[in-house]
Amino acid sequence: MSLSRLILRRVALLALVLVAVSLLTFAIVNILPGDVATAILGESATPADLAALRSRMGLDLPLGTRYLTWIGHMLRGDFGTSLAFNLPVAPILLWRLGNSAILAALVLIISVPCALTLGVVAAVYEGSLLDRFLSLAAVFTFALPEFVIGLVLILVFSILYPVLPGSSLMEPGLNPLSQPLALVLPILVLVLHQLAHLSQITRASMINALGSNYVRAARLKGLPPALVVVKHALRNALAPAIAEVGMNFGYVLGGLVVVETLFSYAGVGQLMVMSVENRDVPTLEATVLVIAVAYGVGNLLADIVSLRLNPRLRS
Amino acid sequence: MAMPKQSRGALLFLLTVILLIALGPWIAPYPATEFHSRHILEGPGTTYLLGTDEFGRDVLSRILWGARPTLLLALASAGLGVLLGTPTGLIAGYFGGRLDEILMRVMDVLMSFPALILAMLIVVMMGPNPVNVVLAIGVVFWPRSARLVRSVSQDLARREFIEAAKARGEAHVFILGRELLPNVLSILVVDFTLRVAAAILLTASLSYLGVGVVPPTPAWGLMVRDGQQFLQNAPWLVLFPCLAIALVSVGTVLVGDYLRRRVAVPGGERIA
Repeated sequence: MSLSRLILRRVALLALVLVAVSLLTFAIVNILPGDVATAILGESATPADLAALRSRMGLDLPLGTRYLTWIGHMLRGDFGTSLAFNLPVAPILLWRLGNSAILAALVLIISVPCALTLGVVAAVYEGSLLDRFLSLAAVFTFALPEFVIGLVLILVFSILYPVLPGSSLMEPGLNPLSQPLALVLPILVLVLHQLAHLSQITRASMINALGSNYVRAARLKGLPPALVVVKHALRNALAPAIAEVGMNFGYVLGGLVVVETLFSYAGVGQLMVMSVENRDVPTLEATVLVIAVAYGVGNLLADIVSLRLNPRLRS
Repeated sequence: MAMPKQSRGALLFLLTVILLIALGPWIAPYPATEFHSRHILEGPGTTYLLGTDEFGRDVLSRILWGARPTLLLALASAGLGVLLGTPTGLIAGYFGGRLDEILMRVMDVLMSFPALILAMLIVVMMGPNPVNVVLAIGVVFWPRSARLVRSVSQDLARREFIEAAKARGEAHVFILGRELLPNVLSILVVDFTLRVAAAILLTASLSYLGVGVVPPTPAWGLMVRDGQQFLQNAPWLVLFPCLAIALVSVGTVLVGDYLRRRVAVPGGERIA
């Protein structure tokens, strides 16, 4: 099948998945035991207050109607009204989505090339000190929650040796790139979390590629070793590594929630936690859906890159 | 019989964790929620080994008491995930066809949320209590376990001993339970261990974000959340619970990794 047809198919599939995701989000919020009005007003609310809120939010309408209204509004860019700020959710969410995208993009731009380089070096010098150190580091960064890594970094770099800000708090509407120093620690936490794991994946597929017959053939032909590593082995080892970047995208997003909360960074993750604390259900619902869409699109992009890199996947 | 060093290490770690869960509250020098109003925010010393918090509660005692709300939750939610995923994966892999297609598409939808986000949403909407945390993480793990088990049972379903059982006229339930299940057990053990490691991260992150267990439960993530405001002057409030999380979580990952190498699990995908 041609590449463009395959991509079209993936896009169509993504559309289907997103419909399912929106249904599931709606179902968790509205159908699971636990009542939206009670979640907002708390356990001590009077029945009259609950009824008033239900009719104001349209919670007394049939479920099907409510889903269609909600998703219809979301599609037209009307994300509802935040109960906490009494403002439309859309502008708040979009500004924060941009901020999170900047953070995630910087993390990927830094961690992917570094991880690939480290993985290749570890594979070429298999069993060396660096190789063993990287495997050990991978276990630790894999096993530690982001907030543990983050708090230790804050303790070292903003309390013991105060060189970096331990908080990324900023004025609403500001571009986070305007205070680059405040970005260093949040990025570092997420990069550390990605780096070791991704380099292990690269290492494994590199070792596989280096042991293959075509690499042996290239070596026997007398090609320079560096050329063999980069042109023959790495090209083939790249696809699994990129696929892993896509699979890891979900952890980056989960990590964003924790890191943004830890550093008070104004992104979608922090908005999600804030809407939980404020019992702001409309904002929560919209935020979750937007995060799920971002996740789906991120996976699709990684899929497309893998397909381009590896013709064998196209069959 | 001499055991390899790694096996001994793994066994020792598991024993320590079990003892911690079983005996934590008994070895703790003080009750977890006892206030010592004259000893507020005291650093680590001889009376309070790991210091006290803003209410004068002993940090060491809280960590020891906190092993249960932290680790039992992780064990239970990993167990639930494997318990849901195993039959789903076995059935999908064994029957194949339309049923497999339907089950796996449902699993795909559950997979299309980042783990932490889905768990958070479920807990928030169902109400913050330990049972709902277990349910939420169980649901998050369900598709991940199901996929792994399916890949193995798909392969097993084509083997001769299954063909033979079918030819003998055995019922599907018998084949699934007595022929397939015993053959995936070793993989389930590995899956469960790695799932526990991921569940420790997820439960800790949920309580750190203020979703799930509520104060004054001494869950480790919650202790970090509460202690964070005193990071500058009383770093022990954050450091020791972080250390507890780190030790148990790194240990579990190492044990899981060790088991995985022994059993050779297909895929070996990242599960956190």
